[in-house]
Amino acid sequence: MSSASELVVGSSRSLLAAKRHRTVRKNSRRIYSAYRDHQQGSSDEEGGDDKEVDSNDPEEMFQNIQYQKEIIANIRSRPWPMRRKLKVLKQAREIVLKYEGQLTRTRGYQTAGADLLKKLYRVLYNIVVTFIPWEVRIKKIESHFGSGVASYFIFLRWLFGINIVLTIMTGSFVVLPELLAGAPFGTTRSKTIPKEHLASAQDLDTIWSLGGYLQYSVLFYGYYGSVRKIGSAGYRLPLAYFLVGMAVFAYSFIILLRKMAKNSRLSLVSASDENFTFCWRVFCAWDYLIGNPEAAECKGAAIVNNIREAIVEEQEKKKDTSLAVLISLRILANILVLLSLAGSIYIIYFVVDRSQKLEQEKPELTLWEKNEVSVVVSLITMIAPSAFELVAQLEMYHPRTSLRFQLARVLVLYLGNLYSLIIALLDKVNSMSSTPHESSSNWTNTSSTISSLSAQVPRISVSEHRNSTMATISTAINFVHNRSSLVIAYNQTIPFEKNARSQQDQCWETYVGQEMLKLSIIDMIFTVASILLIDFIRGLVVRYLSDCCCWDLESKFPEYGEFKIAENVLHLIYNQGMIWMGAFFSPCLPAFNVLKLIGLMYLRSWAVLTCNVPHQQVFRASRSNNFYLAMLLFMLFLCMLPTIFAIVRYRPSEHCGPFSGQEKIYDIISDTVASDFPLWFSKVMSYVTSPVVVLPAVLLLFMLIYYLQAIARSLKFTNNQLRIQLQTERTEDKKKVFQMAAARLQTPEASADKNPDQQESDIPSHEASIHTSSSQQNGSVTNVQSPINHSDSIRTITQSASGADLNEGHVSESVRRPAVIVLPKHQVEPLPNSRPRHFIGGQSGSCRSKSCHHMAYNPPSGLSNAIHTDPLYRKTIRSLHPVEAAGIIAAQNYGGRRGPTTRYVIVNEHRPRRKLLCSATRIPRHYLMEEPTEILELYPRNIKHYTPRTNPQHPPRSHTSQQLRKEEEETGKDRKRTSLGKSLRPCSLPDHHQQAHFYIGERLDSFRESQRARNEIQKDDEEEAGKEGVDWGDFNLPSPSQASIKEKVCFHTQRHPVHSPRRQHQSPTRSRHMGSQLKPKLRGQLETHLTESDSASIASSSDQQNSSTDQYIQVIHSKERHLGSDVRQEKVSKKKTKANFDINYTESNDLICSNV
Amino acid sequence: MGTTASQLPKDSLSEYQELTFLTKQEILLAHRRFTELLGRDERNHPNPRVPMQVILTLPELKSNPFKTRICQVFSTSEDKDGSLTFEDFLDLLSAFSDSATLEIKSHYAFRIFDFDDDGTLDHSDLEKLVNCLTGETEDTRLTSEEMRQLINNILDESDIDKDGTVNLSEFQHVISRSPDFVSSFKIVL
Repeated sequence: MSSASELVVGSSRSLLAAKRHRTVRKNSRRIYSAYRDHQQGSSDEEGGDDKEVDSNDPEEMFQNIQYQKEIIANIRSRPWPMRRKLKVLKQAREIVLKYEGQLTRTRGYQTAGADLLKKLYRVLYNIVVTFIPWEVRIKKIESHFGSGVASYFIFLRWLFGINIVLTIMTGSFVVLPELLAGAPFGTTRSKTIPKEHLASAQDLDTIWSLGGYLQYSVLFYGYYGSVRKIGSAGYRLPLAYFLVGMAVFAYSFIILLRKMAKNSRLSLVSASDENFTFCWRVFCAWDYLIGNPEAAECKGAAIVNNIREAIVEEQEKKKDTSLAVLISLRILANILVLLSLAGSIYIIYFVVDRSQKLEQEKPELTLWEKNEVSVVVSLITMIAPSAFELVAQLEMYHPRTSLRFQLARVLVLYLGNLYSLIIALLDKVNSMSSTPHESSSNWTNTSSTISSLSAQVPRISVSEHRNSTMATISTAINFVHNRSSLVIAYNQTIPFEKNARSQQDQCWETYVGQEMLKLSIIDMIFTVASILLIDFIRGLVVRYLSDCCCWDLESKFPEYGEFKIAENVLHLIYNQGMIWMGAFFSPCLPAFNVLKLIGLMYLRSWAVLTCNVPHQQVFRASRSNNFYLAMLLFMLFLCMLPTIFAIVRYRPSEHCGPFSGQEKIYDIISDTVASDFPLWFSKVMSYVTSPVVVLPAVLLLFMLIYYLQAIARSLKFTNNQLRIQLQTERTEDKKKVFQMAAARLQTPEASADKNPDQQESDIPSHEASIHTSSSQQNGSVTNVQSPINHSDSIRTITQSASGADLNEGHVSESVRRPAVIVLPKHQVEPLPNSRPRHFIGGQSGSCRSKSCHHMAYNPPSGLSNAIHTDPLYRKTIRSLHPVEAAGIIAAQNYGGRRGPTTRYVIVNEHRPRRKLLCSATRIPRHYLMEEPTEILELYPRNIKHYTPRTNPQHPPRSHTSQQLRKEEEETGKDRKRTSLGKSLRPCSLPDHHQQAHFYIGERLDSFRESQRARNEIQKDDEEEAGKEGVDWGDFNLPSPSQASIKEKVCFHTQRHPVHSPRRQHQSPTRSRHMGSQLKPKLRGQLETHLTESDSASIASSSDQQNSSTDQYIQVIHSKERHLGSDVRQEKVSKKKTKANFDINYTESNDLICSNV
Repeated sequence: MGTTASQLPKDSLSEYQELTFLTKQEILLAHRRFTELLGRDERNHPNPRVPMQVILTLPELKSNPFKTRICQVFSTSEDKDGSLTFEDFLDLLSAFSDSATLEIKSHYAFRIFDFDDDGTLDHSDLEKLVNCLTGETEDTRLTSEEMRQLINNILDESDIDKDGTVNLSEFQHVISRSPDFVSSFKIVL
């Protein structure tokens, strides 16, 4: 134990510190720990555990070592100062070192290996960290502008990573093989520049428009050869090209989804329905990364605005604003936005159309005419967002909503642009791919006519040479065929030569790829230009001209450019969309994008650091992350569609690209399957792709999706339920803590008051004061002492009773009840004590005051003996009570006989206490669950136990002889019970201890389990022993389960029938007597009470519970009745107000006990 | 502890790696930055302590409204002056590092916000907290009416047991739902 913790403990509860049991201390500390205390406590545990190592059992040793290692592994996540951590670490390591040697050698090797691995891992991690690109740069930005801005760069880096992989994929599987093994430049027609173009092939504007040499290079689809296998290794380039094209999409999807899943795992924790607007705005407002004073100022202002906004919102939540104007404004704004969207789409379509026309009409195009499509698209993507922002100001939305609107609109705009572009392109492609098709069909027509013509020739010749041999015929046919094919070839070559230019130009895949690349390049240029012009120049102007200007440039008109994270991210997404769209037609597009992203990274980070201020309305980092990703995913999907459409719909160009000559691009797969795989494979494939398999598979998928969704829904539901439950439990529990604190304040006074007049038995007053203070607070253990030490206080009670005053034993006996708080006690006591109580009855009230006194003043001694001293004390009580109170003959007998039985009682009594300890000494959260339910349980339990008891009470005292006889029977039974109790205890106790440390969820389960087990045991017992039903309460004691109230209840209900036979067996006449006497009278009154308490205390009332309460009600009647008729102290009944029902209840129980 | 980064002993370096969420480079960088803060004569001191005023000159902390609180929370100094040893400094950086867990971050955040160190955030704590965020100038400062409402709203949301204060578990509950606390509760050297 560390001395520091000792100190803390000592100072806070100096009274009893020395005597405390260690577990008690641990537990107690756990509850009331503010963080400091908590630290100490946990260190304490470790210190303690270190010392416990000394044991020679290797298994134990190993476990200890494991434990120490766990400490070492987790130590960094403990909120301790470094020195403590160092100390603990050293200690743990020493122990590990010291004892590890004693273990087997293999284990030593294992651990050494593990250590080595760990070190290696750390080294690797260190290396990896150094290789993460731009880490330092991003951190710097992060520390200047906060996590929002940094999230843009992290996103950029992530995209960069994706593009690297895409580049590697296309580069290594498509571009490199083509370069290395493919036919070299100039060997085939698709790889040579047509003569007419050769002259201008190196002109700048040709290069600029990606024509000339660039067009006939690996950059574009058209360059790749259609030879099935290239190189000496027989690389199947066309197949690879197709597969890689698909793999690009597949990889992007997978990586995106994985990232999203990871993010959502983080963000799903934050349930959207829980709203902590204000808390977040205050607790999480500050971005600790901000180091730049300007940024800090901005942030501060933003926070103030934020808070003010939230307050105003809260204030105006219910107010109605003049909606008419607002709505019309918003409608107007939306119309404007829609118009501009439609306009931009129309412009793009128009431009594409115009460029096509121009191409057809004019042989030479100007630079502008060549690039107008991409320039127009880029211009629109640049200007429109700003226009939208202007429009958004009309709408007067909350900034965050308007930001969302803005983002959605910009996204729609980008998509619209891309789509109108691609549709226009595909339109052109359509015409392009259809013209060669027509021409080729023309050729085939002509050739077919020729062939039919030539086919006629053999017929003629055959007819001419009818008599010639078959051989001649065949040769003739061959000859004719050759000739015809020659003719065909000849015929074909003529139009081919003629159309050479148009055909090569009409490689539509290359065209699409060119357009995409062009678009990407122009977009890059515009980005750079906008950064330089809008941000840099503006920043320069603002900074250096602000002195010579009449207004403050920095805060008024031009200001510094804001870094608009969301729009920039959207731009990245748009850019990536272009890449995906064009990657199939231009394999080098990802590589180009990598370069572009690198450039953007440096330029942007430079611009941000030099001339930007962070956006006022920061779109928060992690939340937006998934938003970005979702948009990216959306983009990917939408960009994949046109590509897939083109692949599926259009016929590949006849004379260029890897798929030339095929009907459809994807035919490459079926061709490969058919030609290069064994026959069975293609058969299998044909089966698999047949509707017989596909349809069920699709169906299965649907089913699976539905099923998973159903599961997700139900999980969500249970999640909600649990949360609600947790909340209610928590509030309940907190109430309890509150009450305990109140009780703590009250009791000292009460005890002080009552000390002098212990013996005077001013019964009513005592009862009033004590009961209100103790039993009203359900968890009223507290009334004894400080809430910090429940355990201590309880112990002291027992001690004081046993050690100090044997004379006043009766006092302490009754004392216990209020002090330990009734609940567990009652459950236990009824059996053995029921009879002696009868005699004491009168005193119980007065004694209570004493208890307090004892607790306060009697120093505890010999704690370990508690169990033994208790019995002693019990005995004495019993012997004394009868004498004092009623003075009836049976007294001595009781005392003597009780000897053996009491022991049992004590055992049980400790359990409830322990239980209390556990429940009380937990951190509030855990603790929440336990206490309330226990209280709930109290009622049923007590009642049940009393049922059998109450019957014997009724007979007038003249029956004492009968009673005696019964006592003897009972003692016999009790002995049995003792044995049972003892045998059962060991299993139940450890159970309990463990559970105390668990979290709620687990605990429920385990408890239920144990509960069930116990119930079963009890049932068995029941059958065997028949009469021992009463015992169960005792066995149950340690397990008053939190959640399993229900089970409990049904258990009770089951039991009742068992009881009643027994009852009747014991005292048939009495029970009948009682029944007739009591029931009718008090029922109505009590029922109201009970139902109230039920509704108040039992959170979820079920049918079972209700039914069981009915039974309890009956029981209570008998009690009530007793109060009314037999006992002297029915003054209790005065207090029977509804509010006080608890009090009444417990008190009545007491009284009944004492009455027996 | 040495005077330069290279003099940071190897074993303690690895220990620090074990005990914090920092990588080797970060620890070395931290050490360099820390020694820069030390006076010349202090460098030979076995376990030097940097006074709070000097720590606060770090650009990473300079504009942080909670800078003094941060120093006080991480300081192990006996006389509560907020001065930091190198180990305290590492603790600070570890808690604010990228890979620190939500739990530890929220724990320290709670302690930072708990101005009177009494284990709960009560009205006065919250008020100080808000004032720290908004700054002390007249135009940014919230009016008392606004403040009252704000604090009431905060307590409405977070104070589950309705005892008028926010305790650690309640605080952690709220914080754990916040999507971007972890990403913003960071200090990078």
